[in-house]
Amino acid sequence: MSIVLEHVNHIYESGTAMEFPALTDINLVIPDGQFIGLIGHTGSGKSTLVQHLNGLLKPTGGKIYYNGSDINADGYNKKELRSKVGLVFQYPEHQLFEIDVFTDVCFGPRNLGLDKKEVELRAYAALKQVGLSDEYFYQSPFDLSGGQKRRVAIAGVLAMKPEVLILDEPTAGLDPKGRDEILDQIAKLREETGMTVILVSHSMEDVAKYVDRIIVMNKSRVLYDDEPKKVFSHYKELEAVGLAAPQITYIMQALKEKGLPVDTEITSVAEARTAILNALADKSRSR
Amino acid sequence: MIRDITLGQYYQTDSVIHRLDPRVKLVTTLAFIISLFIVDNAAGYIIAGLFLAVVIKLSNVPVKFMMRGMKSIAFLLVIAVVFNLFLTQGEVVFSIWKLQITKEGIRLAIMMAVRLVFLIMGSSVMTLTTTPNNLTDGLEKILNPLKAIKVPVHEISMMMSIALRFIPILLEETDKIMKAQIARGADFESGNLLKKVKSMVPLLVPLFISAFRRANDLATAMEARCYRGGEHRTKMKPLIYSKRDFMAYGTVCVYLALCVGIGRMLF
Amino acid sequence: MAIIETKDLVFEYIRRDEEGNVEGITRAVDDVSLSVKQGDFVAVLGHNGSGKSTLAKHINAILYPTEGTVWVDGMNTSDEDKLWDIRQEAGMVFQNPDNQIIGQVVEEDVGFGPENLGVPTKEIWERVEESLKAVGMYEFRKHSPNKLSGGQKQRVSIAGVIAMHPKCIVLDEPTAMLDPNGRKEVIRAVRALNDVEGITIILITHYMEEIIHANKVFVMDSGKVVMEGTPREIFSQVEKLKSLRLDVPQVTLLAHELRKSGLDVPEGILTTDELIKALGL
Repeated sequence: MSIVLEHVNHIYESGTAMEFPALTDINLVIPDGQFIGLIGHTGSGKSTLVQHLNGLLKPTGGKIYYNGSDINADGYNKKELRSKVGLVFQYPEHQLFEIDVFTDVCFGPRNLGLDKKEVELRAYAALKQVGLSDEYFYQSPFDLSGGQKRRVAIAGVLAMKPEVLILDEPTAGLDPKGRDEILDQIAKLREETGMTVILVSHSMEDVAKYVDRIIVMNKSRVLYDDEPKKVFSHYKELEAVGLAAPQITYIMQALKEKGLPVDTEITSVAEARTAILNALADKSRSR
Repeated sequence: MIRDITLGQYYQTDSVIHRLDPRVKLVTTLAFIISLFIVDNAAGYIIAGLFLAVVIKLSNVPVKFMMRGMKSIAFLLVIAVVFNLFLTQGEVVFSIWKLQITKEGIRLAIMMAVRLVFLIMGSSVMTLTTTPNNLTDGLEKILNPLKAIKVPVHEISMMMSIALRFIPILLEETDKIMKAQIARGADFESGNLLKKVKSMVPLLVPLFISAFRRANDLATAMEARCYRGGEHRTKMKPLIYSKRDFMAYGTVCVYLALCVGIGRMLF
Repeated sequence: MAIIETKDLVFEYIRRDEEGNVEGITRAVDDVSLSVKQGDFVAVLGHNGSGKSTLAKHINAILYPTEGTVWVDGMNTSDEDKLWDIRQEAGMVFQNPDNQIIGQVVEEDVGFGPENLGVPTKEIWERVEESLKAVGMYEFRKHSPNKLSGGQKQRVSIAGVIAMHPKCIVLDEPTAMLDPNGRKEVIRAVRALNDVEGITIILITHYMEEIIHANKVFVMDSGKVVMEGTPREIFSQVEKLKSLRLDVPQVTLLAHELRKSGLDVPEGILTTDELIKALGL
């Protein structure tokens, strides 16, 4: 049970003077239950890539398999695929349209043709999953704060009970606390449901502490695909393509250069603190 | 999807035609359209064709690029030709089954086809060689006398240029919202008309909200940059006629005279 | 002399329900008195909804105080006769790059402000050229704004403001919708304006790394200015910033944690080099 991409290519405006490769020879296996960060800057192809995973875009070359079936084969049920592979777009609050929060979240499951009771149960569960309390359910979505609107929009996709949840820049435009709250909520959600989550972001720092695997995209290709620590060890190459590793990586690297024997693969401030304290203690003991 | 529609497709290059004052181009296009309805003989169409060919040549726009625009009217062209060909009474040349093709029919069909092709090509030379902004500027200046009868000419032209600026942005946004709703299982294609109209709600509501938000933001941004209507305003690119514009006007007069003289009177 | 000064500034807006009845009054800016010197680089920090954008809109006379007064270069913003002078002297750049560009060609957009001011044609061209050069966008002058990246669009917006020859520019979260590269581009351009042209900058943001170069920082929360000082003074109060829904750069946080663990590291470390020095390496 997984998503497999084989030699996937996507060329925009093929055959014209404006021809532009958005994806070039992408080969990926996304097993069930993984928490993945997909990193790259604007125009690297990451948004194009995720739109292939739920069949919104068709590759101009190569194949994509979901649970073993070719999703672009004739007769493949794309509607069902879209309920299994949930995609939350950038600024998802811009797609809200119903008169109240609850009805809006019902839109997705209702499109699946479920009966009214099941639709409402799912909507309720989804709103709970994103941490929105009952008092907001019958308010107009347009009266909510930015962070709350975004939660409602995410719930709108969750209510379809996807097996894979893809979020394109879920923290764009939020303040630091709002960003942390959304990411914490997503991490918690994944823990509870065990679903596959793909976080699309341009910030390594944001995703470093959550994900098991980082896929870095650059100029339509996959540049790195590994566990975070391994990816960050290429911090010099990352910087060359305009994608920095978390600041903490640079700090540890600088400390090591100055003769403090610390682990440079550290990705969080708490780990860094312990490592520095230990290294300093060792140093004074050996003196 | 929707992004493939190109509006006011300006072709960026440098040419005499590109550099002409937009007012000249507006007037010339109008004159050319009128000329197509004045002439009614082969010689007249040859003159019109020559005039068009020279202008296209001077414009440096590749003929291939111009032809792309013709594709969209090909269907219209075929219908016009077929109708004229078969439904015109007159001297029968030959007949297939119950349909008769007459001498007058052939003449009319050819005339119709030529007129249509010339018309579309003539007006596309204008849009291909003039930026939409330039065009609205030209229109504002030409319509300026209407201010005397309280027509808000400046406001209309400002609205037109803002609309032109935001059309690509809103098209892209439509595409994005559509995809987002499809990802939530929305279906924009199947079903009868009523169902289709209903299925547009999840697209139109967010689109309108976004358009209003943008309009509001833009109004604030314009005010912050001291916009207060057409009064006291100067122009970065004021329209001033140069020698080449007067020459162009002269050429157009000669062309019209030829059309009337040869295309109508002679033969 | 102060270029911007506010005294006891209060701004309230009235919330109405669907029938138009008053539901309540929200105080978005609450008793703010501050002063900004000519040539300063000031940052205003705060989480979403803290009132920082509402405050910003007062400086450009887009909003008027409910109570209190705002002066821009000695002019009271409530004085209607001075409206256009105030808007010319205090330019404003907004969050969404798409919603503030009016022209369909970069140079025409930059020329929009001077056109409105009635600047003669020849001078408009000179201003457009120097403004685009100041933000490094001159080579894009003939481009359509739709084809530019977010960072480039914001730089065009900044050029559009500079072309009006303001003394002060207020930037209301100019980087909130940009990616890290775009953010850097914009901040670099803003710093250059301050350093080279001496234009007073008021940068509204919630990104901490953008305020390091400011001379002065104001932190806002529920409409009030709750902290005020140099970046170092502000960053020395890690716990307080966290309670205000803000965070600090990782190096500052690490130094703070090390200090809590008993190491002799000062508060308010801003760079890796400072940390290395503090650790005696």
